[in-house]
Amino acid sequence: MHLETADTGFYLRKALPALVLTALVFLLPVGAVFLRAFSDGHELVSTFTDSYTWRLLGFTLLESSISALVSVLLALPFALFFSRYDFFGRRALLTISDAAFALPAVLAVLGFVIWYGNNGLLNNALEILTAGRIQLKVLYSFKAIILAHVYLNFPVAFSLITGALLSMSDQEELASRLLGASEMRTFLRVTLPKIRGTLASAFTLIFLFCFPSFLIVMSLGGNPRFYTMEAEIYKRTYTDANPASASALAIFSFLIMTVLLIVTGHGRQGTRVSRRKKHLKKPEGRSHALSVVLSLLIVLFIAPPMIAILYRAFFTREGVFTLKAWTDMARRSTGAGTGLMAVANSLVIALLSSLAAMVLASSIAMGAARRKTGFLALLTSLPMAVGSVSMGLGFSFAALYVPFRNTFFSYVMVFLAHLVVVLPFAVRTILPGARRIPLQLSLCAMTMGKSTSEAYRKIEYPLLCSYRRRAFAFSFALSLGEVNATLALGEGRINTIPVLIYKMINQYNYQSASALSVILLSIALAVFALGESKGGANGVS
Amino acid sequence: MAFLECRDLKRVFPGKFALSLSLEVSRGELLCLIGPSGSGKSTLLSLICGIDRPDSGRILIDGRDITDLEIRKRNIGMVFQDYSLFPSMSVGENIRYGMKETDKAERKQKTAELLDLVGLPGYEKRSVHELSGGEAQRIALARAIAARPDILLLDEPLSSLDAPLRRRLRTVIRQIHDETGITMMYVTHDREEAFAVADRIVVMKGGRICACGDPESIYRRPSDLFTAFFTGDGSAIPMSYLTGSETVSVAFFRPEDIEIDARHSSDKYYTLKDAVVESCEFTGSLYIVRLSYKGSKILVHSNHKPSGHSVTLCILRDRILEMKDDLQ
Repeated sequence: MHLETADTGFYLRKALPALVLTALVFLLPVGAVFLRAFSDGHELVSTFTDSYTWRLLGFTLLESSISALVSVLLALPFALFFSRYDFFGRRALLTISDAAFALPAVLAVLGFVIWYGNNGLLNNALEILTAGRIQLKVLYSFKAIILAHVYLNFPVAFSLITGALLSMSDQEELASRLLGASEMRTFLRVTLPKIRGTLASAFTLIFLFCFPSFLIVMSLGGNPRFYTMEAEIYKRTYTDANPASASALAIFSFLIMTVLLIVTGHGRQGTRVSRRKKHLKKPEGRSHALSVVLSLLIVLFIAPPMIAILYRAFFTREGVFTLKAWTDMARRSTGAGTGLMAVANSLVIALLSSLAAMVLASSIAMGAARRKTGFLALLTSLPMAVGSVSMGLGFSFAALYVPFRNTFFSYVMVFLAHLVVVLPFAVRTILPGARRIPLQLSLCAMTMGKSTSEAYRKIEYPLLCSYRRRAFAFSFALSLGEVNATLALGEGRINTIPVLIYKMINQYNYQSASALSVILLSIALAVFALGESKGGANGVS
Repeated sequence: MAFLECRDLKRVFPGKFALSLSLEVSRGELLCLIGPSGSGKSTLLSLICGIDRPDSGRILIDGRDITDLEIRKRNIGMVFQDYSLFPSMSVGENIRYGMKETDKAERKQKTAELLDLVGLPGYEKRSVHELSGGEAQRIALARAIAARPDILLLDEPLSSLDAPLRRRLRTVIRQIHDETGITMMYVTHDREEAFAVADRIVVMKGGRICACGDPESIYRRPSDLFTAFFTGDGSAIPMSYLTGSETVSVAFFRPEDIEIDARHSSDKYYTLKDAVVESCEFTGSLYIVRLSYKGSKILVHSNHKPSGHSVTLCILRDRILEMKDDLQ
């Protein structure tokens, strides 16, 4: 059954303004980068042929691949166990993992510095416990980058794989065991082929998250040897003051990322969803002990850096309780503005960009779902191919063409940059919901004399409610944690919470950074709760 | 004059399927479309309600050409197999959605009447998520009727329900048809359902109509072997086994038109001696006996169990249909 061309045209018309706006906001910075890069052909050619560029690409591919692989492999056994047994604390740990989607990278950086740092809380504890015989050296190394990426992405892989396993029936596994196969043979021959698509999707998603990694690389790598392409673009722009070279590298990165997006987009497989409800077992004996061990491992991996932040927000390095960081919040701190100003900036920018992203993404997703084409979704994925540092760079080039410069203008540029960064994620969040709305619902409305537009407004739009809310929350969390583009565009005039935290980390002012991080974490968790809250019985499932 | 007229309708899906037919439906008639999967039943409904457009031909309702009209301007109701109730609305809101009445009290009153009609009084405030399959389909029916369509199309409305519920609901649908007098086109793959509800049955195959008539004549006097077997059980054996004459045609008869081990006069019955019993199943009300005669298979519904392995069959002469063997 299909809609007449005239009716699908409605969805395209509806999506068109959003697409045009997205294209403009995306093409503006990218065009500016291209213009700048092509104005110096020699620099472009030398960047593309420079062996250092290719070494940089090799390293970026390596760190993203290892981060994604470790995250997925580590998450797999946990997901297998959590999708088979029901035990005390299971739901809480799954919720915490889901919440980690909303965790800004800057919090991981600060948490790692305070917890794993050479003078961090873990080493302090080890010094007391082992009388100084054992000291961990984690930070400022390749393993620190990988560990931080895994810290942020293990919960992503864990949630995705557990969700996929829970949506599948375990009848095939049961049949395999009844036919005499061992646990291992059943896993390798039955379970693994079923979740191959999910594992590939999780790997791809994490790989794409880690490829343009900037903050973690700059703060925890501590050595230009470990620079990714995004970090190098930032260095060439702001440290070397060589925008032509930075633009050439940004274009190289954009081309590579576009190829990766297209390749991974084609290779992704869906998950077979079973309608048969899966019954979770109560763990007994060895599996009960395993449930305790696995739960503890997750808690011990995820919680310490965040608890360390909470601790440092109220205690000095020497362990003395203080509220200084909180009372200083209203005073002028690093750069322009105060901590409170940064909170206000973050909230306003995140609110506006996520609202705009939600509205634009709704019409784009409905258009993509009804036209049954991956082209629209791919088009809106394109901003993902541009790292946020490059995006910031592009916007600052574009800003050069504007004759006046003031704070308001900077705010607008930051808002647009945030919008472009979060929009692809908003579209991806709403698209599955749009695809789930049966075409028959609007056809039904039409047989009752309603127009396509009326059917869209009254029938389809309300059904996207929970997806829109989730997209809003996801966009808000992403915007809230955004550092790179804001740093590049704010020109010191605009401090958001993560930007201020980043600056404070660089000044070793961990206490104030921690106090701000507690606020950032609280807002991120509140937004996560909003996204996950039940939306009544109106959603499509 | 026909109320609904499909005139030389053609719809081609290159390399897959082609629909080509003409059909007339009278005002107030309940017409059932039956046929195997891919015979074009749902395609025909899609063309009539405007979800799809024909490559050529016209569709007229009460003399008005609706072929090029938008879906919403056709005033044709549709009930889908999966109910398609709007999940964001309550039962009452679903029913009122397509109503033409504007007065609030009148709409409320009409909702209550329709809920009574489908046997679900007091369901107005319920969420559609609380409904069972049978209840959801009745609400879908009420919602479609509420819009006062000229014709109601039902696309396998009972397919996703279990057998006892299907039997109960088909009676409800027939009663609603009789009370409202609405013209209905009902697609089903269940021949028993079609016989139970239809005024007239159209049998489709490969995008064409191969038989059309009232249920009894379709069952008793099918025009070809496909229709004969599609509309009920039966046996087809070479005509020469019965008459002794040299002919290539086949004799078709229903299982209830044969008796086992009976002694009847030859002017009313054909007799087949030494038919071999291959299986015998007792269903409670009768025996289903499968036999073999000179290599042909024969199915019999018998009131008693065959007396032995080799039996004599008596087939009612006037129930035998001589047909071309067009199934091979």
